[in-house]
Amino acid sequence: MTDADTPLIECRNVWKVFGERAREAIASIRERHLGKREVLTEFGCVVGVHDASFALKKGEIFCIMGLSGSGKSTLLRLLNRLIEPSLGEVLVKGRAINGLSKTELRDLRARTIGMVFQNVALIPTRTVLENAAFGLEVQGIPAAERRRIATDALSRVGLGDWLDRYPRELSGGMQQRVGLARAIAADPEIILMDEPFSALDPLIRRQLQDEFRALTKSLGKSAVFITHDLDEAIRIGDRIAIMKDGAMIQVGTAEEIVMNPADQYVADFVAGISRIHLVKAGSVMMPPADFTDAPTAALEQTGLDADIDALIHLVLASPHGAVAVSEDGDLRGVVTARTLLEGLKGDHAPVAGAA
Amino acid sequence: MDLTAFIKDFDKAIDSAMSWATDHGGLLFDLVRAALERFFDLVTSGLLLLPYWAAALVAGAIAARSLGWKAGIATAAGLAFCQMMDLWSETVETMCLVLVSVLLAILIGAPLGILAGYRPRLSQTIDPVLDLIQTLPPYIYLLPSIAFLGYGPATAIAATVIVSVPPVIRLVAHGFRSTPVEFVELGEATGTAPRDAFLKIRLPFALPSIMAGVNQSLMMAFGMVVIAGIVGSGGLGETIYGAVRKLDIALSVNAAIAIVILTIIIDRISQSAAAHRRPA
Repeated sequence: MTDADTPLIECRNVWKVFGERAREAIASIRERHLGKREVLTEFGCVVGVHDASFALKKGEIFCIMGLSGSGKSTLLRLLNRLIEPSLGEVLVKGRAINGLSKTELRDLRARTIGMVFQNVALIPTRTVLENAAFGLEVQGIPAAERRRIATDALSRVGLGDWLDRYPRELSGGMQQRVGLARAIAADPEIILMDEPFSALDPLIRRQLQDEFRALTKSLGKSAVFITHDLDEAIRIGDRIAIMKDGAMIQVGTAEEIVMNPADQYVADFVAGISRIHLVKAGSVMMPPADFTDAPTAALEQTGLDADIDALIHLVLASPHGAVAVSEDGDLRGVVTARTLLEGLKGDHAPVAGAA
Repeated sequence: MDLTAFIKDFDKAIDSAMSWATDHGGLLFDLVRAALERFFDLVTSGLLLLPYWAAALVAGAIAARSLGWKAGIATAAGLAFCQMMDLWSETVETMCLVLVSVLLAILIGAPLGILAGYRPRLSQTIDPVLDLIQTLPPYIYLLPSIAFLGYGPATAIAATVIVSVPPVIRLVAHGFRSTPVEFVELGEATGTAPRDAFLKIRLPFALPSIMAGVNQSLMMAFGMVVIAGIVGSGGLGETIYGAVRKLDIALSVNAAIAIVILTIIIDRISQSAAAHRRPA
């Protein structure tokens, strides 16, 4: 009964408070707006997830970014009920998973939601192929069939020649590819990624980030991706949620978050991010009326989604030092060298109604 | 209340409980005794069917396979030496006492260990009992055994089982408890049924610890089997006990050497089995 608009995963006001007096703690957090530390001293409870709500759309890669202890891993585990929420509900394809029976839950985890772990968790006594086929094996799929599927999944991640090796013979990056192959072999619609690339060196990490994004998109999968690295979130995510102390303090596209940080915490995070490919014309233009140096009709035209890199080229090439931004033939704004510099610096207030 | 009186009452209660058990459980104990002796006789006579040189060759081959050819030759030579000291049948009997006891210890200890590994609460109740078993002097266990089962190998086996069960329980529990958390999660997140999670995830990680438990159990059993010579266990333990009583130093030294040879062989082979099971 799921149509295209039903989110694959929907989190509705989900709380996770660890400790015996979780209910009391949640009640007083609501009434008295207690912070993490007060909850710990008053109730001896640890707030894992604080009233989180979000929806994962079909085909989307949703990144959850936060530092260690921000509750991102707890939140991820609430999505396949490895952890039970204290309050609120999680819906997968429109169905509340809190009420699922053990068998239904196993089925959901086996077929609908795959998971990739930070430390890969390849069983050392099994070959690469046997590891990749693990999910299929415990689903009771016949040996020949699972061999075929797992081989296919492994060649998709570039490990077609490593089937009979053991995990210890593989580099960290290759091991994580096996982890990914194991997840996609079961053909789930949703893949939960728990900081899968954190332990890899930067070059391999970038490569895997790009491959992961391309693979997910080409297979038509959706993913929730946990990371502590904002660069990674921007590279991979269609949307990003920033978590702090268990709460989602901002959800949006990379550009929205970089251009309009919700608070100082987010602003500090995005301060070091290169905006050159991230920020689009819509965020750095001024209203057409403010541009008086030349008639706007004389300017070169570009779209709302031209990035700063492209805009720099256009502005430099223009005799008027400016470029007009239009959408469907309507003039929406003007980008000049000045607005570009302001956009790069980060305190530019975008024009009303800009994307 | 007077403490000495209380202690006297307590001792009396224990005594009468023991005699009640021997009076009323006679049939049960007879059955246990018969079963243990029959089992022991079966294994021993089976092994004694092999002439000593064939047994030495087989043992040597096993040692060579798991430990290398030097160990293989040493094993075969060691067992041949036992024959030269004219202690071959005693050596085989001791070996069988140990094997039968450890087999029973595994049958009792492994299920308990698995349960304790899965349930930390159960572990907390079992641990003090195991501590108690391991701190009491081992020959204490000969007393109830001899009271219930009489003089003979059945008593030796029963007492040896008591002593060799704790390491099995402890190390099996440890093995199942120490599955890395990400692998437990892997099982859950892939929708693995509990039986598969046990066989395909927990067991491979537990195997090294289980094998270490078997090795420890074997070593405890060797210690006890010699002490059990006092209750007519048969084998080298009884040879030593008899030699000590007659002050036959030469014989007691020979028997001691045979025990050392046997213990080292079993220890090294079972240890290498544990090492082979270790995931890289």
